[in-house]
Amino acid sequence: MIADPIFAPLRDLARRLRRGELSPVELAESFLRRLEGLGPRLHAVVTVTRERALTAARRAEAEIAAGHYRGPLHGIPYGAKDLLATAGGIPTTWGAAPLRAQSFDFDATVIRKLEAAGAVLVAKLAMVELAGGMGYRQPSASFTGPGRNPWNPETWTGGSSSGSGAAVAAGLVPFAIGSETWGSILSPAGNCGVTGLRPTYGRVSRHGAMALAWTLDKLGPLGLTADDCGLVLDAIAGPDPADPSATGRAFRYDERDPAGRRFRFGILPAVTEPCEEAVRASFARSLEVLQEIGSVEEVGLPDLPWETVTRTILQAEAASAFEDLIESGGISALTAPEDRAGPYARDAILAKDYIKAMRLRGVMAREIDRVLSRLDLLVAPGRAAVASPIDQEFRSAIRGTVADPMGAIGNGAGLPAVAVPNGLDPRGLPTSLQFMGRAYDENTVLAAARAYQARTDWHRRHPEL
Amino acid sequence: MPAEAPRPEVIAEIERLLGLVRDRYGARLGAAELEEVRRTVEGIVEAAHTLRAVRLGNSDEPFPPFVPVRTDG
Repeated sequence: MIADPIFAPLRDLARRLRRGELSPVELAESFLRRLEGLGPRLHAVVTVTRERALTAARRAEAEIAAGHYRGPLHGIPYGAKDLLATAGGIPTTWGAAPLRAQSFDFDATVIRKLEAAGAVLVAKLAMVELAGGMGYRQPSASFTGPGRNPWNPETWTGGSSSGSGAAVAAGLVPFAIGSETWGSILSPAGNCGVTGLRPTYGRVSRHGAMALAWTLDKLGPLGLTADDCGLVLDAIAGPDPADPSATGRAFRYDERDPAGRRFRFGILPAVTEPCEEAVRASFARSLEVLQEIGSVEEVGLPDLPWETVTRTILQAEAASAFEDLIESGGISALTAPEDRAGPYARDAILAKDYIKAMRLRGVMAREIDRVLSRLDLLVAPGRAAVASPIDQEFRSAIRGTVADPMGAIGNGAGLPAVAVPNGLDPRGLPTSLQFMGRAYDENTVLAAARAYQARTDWHRRHPEL
Repeated sequence: MPAEAPRPEVIAEIERLLGLVRDRYGARLGAAELEEVRRTVEGIVEAAHTLRAVRLGNSDEPFPPFVPVRTDG
């Protein structure tokens, strides 16, 4: 009997594809059926790319059969957040009603790199309108409807990579690409109980991706495991002449786990203070696991307004990135009422204050690197709360209604982080744990997450749909 | 605990900047939208005062630093 490919780790799928035990075309069909059947119920999908997927899957099948194996993503389906440009008449809507007919005549670099690795694009996935950059405070901020969490569709997926989180959690795709400016990968990964990797700023080219805040935007994978995310990052990382921020530093995923490897973990003071009880309980249990693979110590940072720094940069850059849409009044067609008005207020950000935030960002980057240079990683709860009800406003660090020093510092300083599931609350909603490392040190972040997942089974639990 | 009332100079700055936004976009904004704008401006001004309270040295430059470009390599 052939094992079900849904919820199988990428290495397992890759091995079976390479041996001919799985057909790329049949695999694509399996996920296309799930996308078409379950996707609408979860508001997870904007466009199912059936024709493009089957063309790519047939090509993969022929190549693998002929012995031209490209690597571990060859023949594996995936979904892309709908802010990544795709050619061929496939819309790229940025989650925004006024842009629902928008299309491009080229593929984003990430899409091209995944195609070169043999991966099969099966869907453009739902997202919060304009990646949440207009200041939304409710799940209903996308023309495709609020992202419904596969663990409980009456709760939210998190955002802004809402469809990416839901699609991986529901087994609609083996992995997905999301983006993070502040929280948009780690939040849906945490709410949906999957693994999400935010790479170092500049590790992955943003060419062809919607810009929200040029100095903060990152693209990264969401998958079932840290190992899955490492395999995907290996395929999408690298320099790109079309993106001046894309680093020339080489990245190769290091999957080795030397026996007895130990990590030095740090925790910022009061990091669980804003958290719900279930999140604190899961974090306490996680620390016991981390003690098995390393040491845990509290570390301090200077008392500076890290969240204000990152928030000011994000708001100012987003106001400029969407200047045309705001000035023209085009935002009046957005879904969330707050997104139709709040952006006008960004004219009140003075240039001097934005530059002050950028100067403080330098202090932030140096201070956090000084702390991390004596450790391997910082650890913290992935999110302060489990998924909130679908019809309620949520607390947001970007708006300043909940503390998130890890998110502010990590995104402000451009550091890599991974969120992994680490428990379920009494209602069955996932909690998460995040590991954050030094710039360009994704391999350490992923190694610690792999070590954690080798000792726990939260990543092997899936919602019943 | 109730939030601390803004200082008079902060209130004055909020009103001035709100006036600027109202001048530019007021024709598009109803009462609910104006209230949304006011809340956002209040947050922006409070953030600005927080940033301005931090002292930096003359050599603390914006990050990332500017990088000159040559398109011919």
